[in-house]
Amino acid sequence: MKFFPGCMIHNRYPGIEKSLYYVFENLGISISPLNGSSCCPAPSITKSVSHDLWLEVGKRNIELADNDTIMTACNGCFTTLFEIAEKTGRGDVRHVAEFLYFDVGIDRIRRSITKRLPLRLAVHYGCHFFRPGEYKKFTSQERPNILDELVEAIGSQSVDYRYKMMCCGGGGGVRAGATEVSQDLLEIKLDAISDEDADAIVVICPLCLNQFDNGQKELENSRNKSYGVPVVHYIQLLAVAMGMEPELTGIQWHSISSTDLIEKLVKGEMVEE
Amino acid sequence: MDAELSKTLTRCMQCGTCIGSCFSGRVTALNTRKILMEYMAKGTPIEDHDALWFCVTCYACQERCPRGIPITDIILEARKDLARRKGLPGRLKNAFSYLEKHTAYVPGKEKNVEMRRELDLPVYHSQFDEKARKEVSEIVSRHLKEVIG
Repeated sequence: MKFFPGCMIHNRYPGIEKSLYYVFENLGISISPLNGSSCCPAPSITKSVSHDLWLEVGKRNIELADNDTIMTACNGCFTTLFEIAEKTGRGDVRHVAEFLYFDVGIDRIRRSITKRLPLRLAVHYGCHFFRPGEYKKFTSQERPNILDELVEAIGSQSVDYRYKMMCCGGGGGVRAGATEVSQDLLEIKLDAISDEDADAIVVICPLCLNQFDNGQKELENSRNKSYGVPVVHYIQLLAVAMGMEPELTGIQWHSISSTDLIEKLVKGEMVEE
Repeated sequence: MDAELSKTLTRCMQCGTCIGSCFSGRVTALNTRKILMEYMAKGTPIEDHDALWFCVTCYACQERCPRGIPITDIILEARKDLARRKGLPGRLKNAFSYLEKHTAYVPGKEKNVEMRRELDLPVYHSQFDEKARKEVSEIVSRHLKEVIG
């Protein structure tokens, strides 16, 4: 299996990659980096300028894997590579969340952890995990449960909140192209999450992570709103539940840091043999 | 606009499911139902609406459209014309020069490379591999030339 990092994980959130390798090693699945891979490229903003550019760069990334399975941990990379693979009939592309759910399974994940993490978590799927749905047929996009179940498998509680299925406001080039709009959407989402007193927001996409995490800093500066809710990728939590040192997940480098969360991650709740 | 895509627009029955599903539509001037109505009633081109840049491309409208209109795909297609005529909005302008030069929309800086080293991870994105970087950069330049000239 080859890991496709994309720009965000390779260049901003390397702790996601570190966590993924730890989890896969723990599960006995062999995985190595997809050397020389580039930006996927990001589906919406690239298609806003050139569909052919999107297709040619995407194809090159798929060909680099030489028919080996490509593992992604980003909804954007997943969408681009999965869509191109399905359209061209070449390449096997997976998103780590659906891979963990379908191929590893909740039971095995539950058995693989060494400590439970009794946290209240606000899960956010991210639109492009299951949409566009032309090829992504693995889950209901109106009532998905994959991430909720994955979170429960490590002993956490998935809290319900208003606007759970709403976009983070980071997609479609809106974060860069219309920042004000992006912040309006983020504010609605964060207001709803902060009503539920969650320990953290859990995502499965580094673009959503960046939007929630750096976006909170930006809202603090531009609108004087302070939420202080840490944001993590699910694979970072799973790695910790399997025994990895929390600091190897890189969460101390996220914009919103919480000693409270780190303490809870360090401590956990030991699983009895 | 691609002829096949344009043809699907005439299926619209103005039910409003698209705008009812649109989160951006709640906070911006983006009104997908109205854009389609103006297209059908007055022939106003979809690409005449600057608000298309407010679409987060969540695809909820497209997935829920009872007439099977690929609304989000149409928005992305229309953006191409908008971009050609008026350029890209905000910081999106920089994104494509990053992609061309570094083969990454989000290029890594020295401190990011340092983070990878601290975690004992290899540095292997095409941005840092001269042969791969040139190869991808050439593809990007060629397509951008076709678009922007």
